[in-house]
Amino acid sequence: MKIVRKIGYFIALTVFLLLVLGPFLWAFVLSVTPEHAMFAQTLEILPETVTFENYAEIFTGGRKGTLVITGILNSLKAVGTTLLVGIPICLLSAYALGRMEFKGRKLLKDLLLITMVIPVMATIIPLFRLFVERELLDHVFWLSMVYVSSYLPLITWLMMNYFAAIPRELEEAAQIDGCGKVTTFLKIFLPVSRPIILSAALIMFLNTWNQFQIPLILASSLETKPVAIVVSEFMTKDSIQYGLTAASGIVAVIPPAVTALIFRKFLISGMMKGSVKG
Amino acid sequence: MKKRLLSILLVAAMTATMLIGCGSKEKSGDDAKKDEEKGGDSITLMAPDWAIPTEDQLAAFTKETGIEVVVNEVGWDDIREKLATAASGGQAAADVVEVDWSWVGEFHAADWLETLDVTEEDKKDMPTLETFTKEGKVLAIPYANDYRLSYYNTKQFEKAGIKEEPQTWDDVLEACRALKSTGTVEYPFAIALNAEEKTSTCLMWLAYAMNGVVWNEDGTLNKESVTEALQYMETLIKEELVAPEDKTSSGMDAYKRITGGSASFLTGPTSFVSRSTNEEECGVIGEITPILMPGKEGKSKVTMALPEGLGVTKFSENKEAAKKFVEWYTSADMQKELNASNSAIPTRNSVLKGLVDDGSIKNAGAMLEEAELIVSPFPNGIPAYYAEMSNAMYNAINKMALGELTAEKAFAEMDTKIKELVEQE
Amino acid sequence: MKQKILPYLLLAPMILVMGVLVFYPIAATFSYSLKKWKLTAPNDIRFIGMNNYKSILTAKSTWYSLQNTLFLLLLVVVATTVLGVLLSLFLNVSVRGSGLLLAIAVLPWALPPYVNGILWRFIFHPGYGFLNKVLLKFGLVEAPVEWLSSRWTLLLVVAVVVVWRSIPFMALVCMAGRQSIPHELYEAARIDGGNGFGIFRRITLPLMLPFLAIGITSTSVSAINIFDEIIALSGYGDLGKNILVESYLTTFTFLDFGKGSAVTYLVMFLAALLGVFYLRSLNKEVEY
Repeated sequence: MKIVRKIGYFIALTVFLLLVLGPFLWAFVLSVTPEHAMFAQTLEILPETVTFENYAEIFTGGRKGTLVITGILNSLKAVGTTLLVGIPICLLSAYALGRMEFKGRKLLKDLLLITMVIPVMATIIPLFRLFVERELLDHVFWLSMVYVSSYLPLITWLMMNYFAAIPRELEEAAQIDGCGKVTTFLKIFLPVSRPIILSAALIMFLNTWNQFQIPLILASSLETKPVAIVVSEFMTKDSIQYGLTAASGIVAVIPPAVTALIFRKFLISGMMKGSVKG
Repeated sequence: MKKRLLSILLVAAMTATMLIGCGSKEKSGDDAKKDEEKGGDSITLMAPDWAIPTEDQLAAFTKETGIEVVVNEVGWDDIREKLATAASGGQAAADVVEVDWSWVGEFHAADWLETLDVTEEDKKDMPTLETFTKEGKVLAIPYANDYRLSYYNTKQFEKAGIKEEPQTWDDVLEACRALKSTGTVEYPFAIALNAEEKTSTCLMWLAYAMNGVVWNEDGTLNKESVTEALQYMETLIKEELVAPEDKTSSGMDAYKRITGGSASFLTGPTSFVSRSTNEEECGVIGEITPILMPGKEGKSKVTMALPEGLGVTKFSENKEAAKKFVEWYTSADMQKELNASNSAIPTRNSVLKGLVDDGSIKNAGAMLEEAELIVSPFPNGIPAYYAEMSNAMYNAINKMALGELTAEKAFAEMDTKIKELVEQE
Repeated sequence: MKQKILPYLLLAPMILVMGVLVFYPIAATFSYSLKKWKLTAPNDIRFIGMNNYKSILTAKSTWYSLQNTLFLLLLVVVATTVLGVLLSLFLNVSVRGSGLLLAIAVLPWALPPYVNGILWRFIFHPGYGFLNKVLLKFGLVEAPVEWLSSRWTLLLVVAVVVVWRSIPFMALVCMAGRQSIPHELYEAARIDGGNGFGIFRRITLPLMLPFLAIGITSTSVSAINIFDEIIALSGYGDLGKNILVESYLTTFTFLDFGKGSAVTYLVMFLAALLGVFYLRSLNKEVEY
């Protein structure tokens, strides 16, 4: 019985690794395949000759490689700003909506949550015009504010959910001790919120890394455009560079992958409800 | 616990440095903007990577004219979207912008481009200028040439027992049949059939090369000519002379089959002249020869150009400086330099000739001869509804390729749409 | 008094951000959708009421795109939910290195959708893509399969690609939900004599529901908003286009901002329907 389970797990593990890592491995193969052999009519999966030119381009400061590195830095900047602005706003909103009684609470909460489903296309043109009027184009900060507005509903909901597990008695006790709402938040809620903050940060990190349409229109200058756009630009009209696209795609995944690896524990724990008690 | 604290501190420090980093960057950006306003002689250039001049070239321009050029490199596909969004807000996305030949009609209708002055001499030297002219006004000046030219793989043709260069489209068809039946090449004809812009242009040049006409004077499709071209394509598809993957993979992938060695005949971009000698891109170096485009009886007397140009936006606050830049960029000397630095194919026939003669462009074949035959197939210039028209055309062709429509039905489908568009005009 | 304004004070940043960057723009887009506003006719911009909506709702291509959107929505949501739950069960098994597995599992999420699409284009390339190579090698097919040349296989491929990147979030949410349920509850249920299925129905499912709801909501949103993958796999052609591609084409390719905004509002309408539905499950407070 135990052996059967072990074999079963092993099979599941193999399938899992194959399905998740397979496409990345295939992308790696492409990134070292010479361009003309890309669509050669052969059944060989590995190319006859291997070239590391695409990686050399990225890491030794070729013109296009520099673009990739700049793109990664730009993405990181956007991530940093989004987190610094977004997390506090979400925390405050979650506390107010989740733990306070006031008029219009339900309405505000519903209005916030329903924006989760609004597609970017529905806001992008007016946003652009707004950005033009106020001269906000190509600023990482304002770009990040747009990101924040799109993550607010999900993150606030997750935080509200997390706070819901903090016993009311604890809060009441603090208030009897003479703490105001704000002090209660700082003394009771904030100290136990580390897991959810890190969870939220990771989710925001990964989602920011994927942004494409928004920065394309609001911040596509060299100083602000994220790596996702840079990578896509290797494939336009007549200059299609599959190898370089694959190589830079792989390089671009490294920062979020490393971050996820370091903070893997918080991927789940923050979203869990019971974790506060323990 | 200590470890945790450390990690948190680390994150905090990281994010803080990021913020400071971008904060200072932003400020410098602001300062730069203010400087621009004061100085006045600074322009922005929005173009795809292949059009961006080198730093040295830009420095030389600044030294010569005192005009600073801020480069905004944008992917080709995204330029139009950015221009449109900016213009909808009454803004210039940049002072100098990329203008593809296919955008001229709508940019003219939308009134986004300044009229440029060009001497008669230049007009003669640049046949593709016609494409950028609407109602007698020159809206952009072509900097990168691209016209349809044919290529064939001499080695594969020989192997299939064909000694002569194909002269007519019937020759090509016979040759492809021979290539296939002898087992030399499975899918000898490379053509774009995917639902995308390149597929529309394939139909255009084919009809144009066959009969010298694509559109009637009123802007509707010429039924005989276009139907004949569609039927030719249908034959290629039915006899499986084109690769099945060409129906759904990008047009560029289809073209690239010639340099990959899996196709023997291509009518396509001029860039394949240099691609066919580039080791990284070409697996069959020395086998591909550029030839004049075939026609119905003997070689085609015309070819179609698909050039890219630079224009000056109406909303620009620095039009004079911007015009100076365009003039400099498309000058004979610069075209020569840009060929060396960006492998741009000159739009001035005089420069092209010089480059072919001195060996800068290798394996030119019929390249120069074909350039003399450039004539725009559009009787009234590029129409404002080009994008919608092309969309109807490539979708109909793609459906034909996938076996959903016959050539006649495909024609009817695009014809109906185009008539509708002409009427709305 | 102070107590009364405090909540609004705390919410002020959120209200400001959402008001300016979300609610104002969607209202503006709606006003555009009531106008004739084609960039190629700059001198003919005027209010035309519901005409844009009339014209798109009578166009065949709108309904075709809508079908594609709904098909993708159904397929992506069902597949992501099932596979996400399965993945969460797998990742829940604690072995050495399960943390590492978790980190590997989120990799697809970290990949920008456009790059994701291109990656898979090489796998499903109709000529000698990876999958065809494998199938041909093992003699499973005679000739390369044309994955992208019929409507339903193309949509299926798009769905596979989107599901691949949506699974990680779903799995994470499920794991969080599953691990939130206190052990005591299960023990109590077992003492009461509940069997496996009964426990699942009475305890696991209802307690996990809000978590599933957030996962499904977020997946549905990305399913309605599929764009990059379609473009990377098949371009702007008719075959695989969904409402969002239609909206992009109308707005940015045909430069018809009025009609384009109306098409966008179709997506909005669809999203709002889903939104109301999810709101109800999200609002359920769970007590353990």
